[in-house]
Amino acid sequence: MTSRAAVESIDRARFEALMLPHMDAAYTLARYWTRNEQDAEDVVQDAYLRAIRYFDGYRGESPASARAWLLTIVRNTAYTARKRGRVDAVTTEFDDTEHSLAAIDDQPDGVQVRHDAKETLGRALDRLAPEFREVIVLRELQGLSYKEIGEVTGVPVGTVMSRLSRARARLQEALRDK
Amino acid sequence: MTSEGGRVTHPGFEAQVDALLDGELTADDARELEAHITQCPECARFREDRLALRTAITAGVPAYRSPDALRERVRTALAEAASAEARPMPRPMPRPMPRPRGSALGALWRPMALAASLAIVAVGSWNLSLRQAQSDRLADAVLASHIRSLMPGHLTDVPSSDQHTVKPWFNGKLDFSPPVHDLASRGYPLLGGRLDYVNGRSVAVLVYGRRQHLINVFVWPAMRGQGDGPDLRDRQGYHLRHWSTPDYTYWAASDLNPTELQDFVRLLQQSDSDGSVASPR
Repeated sequence: MTSRAAVESIDRARFEALMLPHMDAAYTLARYWTRNEQDAEDVVQDAYLRAIRYFDGYRGESPASARAWLLTIVRNTAYTARKRGRVDAVTTEFDDTEHSLAAIDDQPDGVQVRHDAKETLGRALDRLAPEFREVIVLRELQGLSYKEIGEVTGVPVGTVMSRLSRARARLQEALRDK
Repeated sequence: MTSEGGRVTHPGFEAQVDALLDGELTADDARELEAHITQCPECARFREDRLALRTAITAGVPAYRSPDALRERVRTALAEAASAEARPMPRPMPRPMPRPRGSALGALWRPMALAASLAIVAVGSWNLSLRQAQSDRLADAVLASHIRSLMPGHLTDVPSSDQHTVKPWFNGKLDFSPPVHDLASRGYPLLGGRLDYVNGRSVAVLVYGRRQHLINVFVWPAMRGQGDGPDLRDRQGYHLRHWSTPDYTYWAASDLNPTELQDFVRLLQQSDSDGSVASPR
């Protein structure tokens, strides 16, 4: 093994040891961002490739900081992909008139679906703008602190707090209205 | 916070209760809000609703497991990216992985292929590319040695902050006597020295500290006619600095920030040129 290869493999081994354990978290965030399995996979792969390029800049020490660092890149990758318009770009800000539950219920798949709480919640989450959906995912599914969520999404903690609260209010409404 | 006629008159309290349930309030704020909630049916009901929502989310909003195929894809992509980056001389790019379908992200391979072809154009001169490859190899060897030295028990053969202990230690072990300077007064204490083998020869390595960072300085006699300009590389989180004097070839490697490392190099060069006038032993 040449010295270059040795260095490279030490470094890649370190990267993989730190970052690969968080692929489920990365994929979950990407799934909720893109709402699509294939796009989520592309986002995750692209994010890992970016991450290894930026790994020089990684200064964290704990598994939690590795996760937050990786999720930041996943989030930005998903965000950029959406801006490029390749990933499903339908963002639905909070808008009662445009997106009533009734309108969603008439979606053309033609299958009569039973609206249990789970389904209602899933639909309500899908209808949130990604900026609101992501705080729910990061907080409720991945247990990140407000500070970590702020780092991942690039907004102040106060904004995290208000987004989270608005997103929850929205989901609660949906559950109540079902 | 008060509640009048069933209408909540303390805007922002929802986020506060959320923060309370999320464990994000300070102990004092939490106690205060708890006390309020026991007095305020509005807030108490709001909290119940939020707890119910949390249960519903836990039950109904899944976290996903990444598919095995994705794990495989990512591993392969990382391996290919790493080997593309580490290739010393331009070679044809490996064929991109077959992708299940075109997407914006698939375009990632294109810039990499472009970078490789630009590299081929840039290194037009064989001579230049040869010298480039040599100095690449040297930088690799220095970096590998630096990383090895960070493993337990590998840093110093002679752990001493005294330049008058470190310098004589090299006697009889090397065919040259490396200049040794203590820069403790400037914030870079000498930690010791060791022998290492780089570029096909035994070299002296002087180890300096700066806070929790280590700096390895590799020194060996300059070869006549092989003088080259200073070199500066940043690789995998480490910074490499190379310079030469008429007598010696130097490489410094560290994870110290580039500004301080540059400062350190400057101090070392200064001490060297002072030392040539009034040599300390």
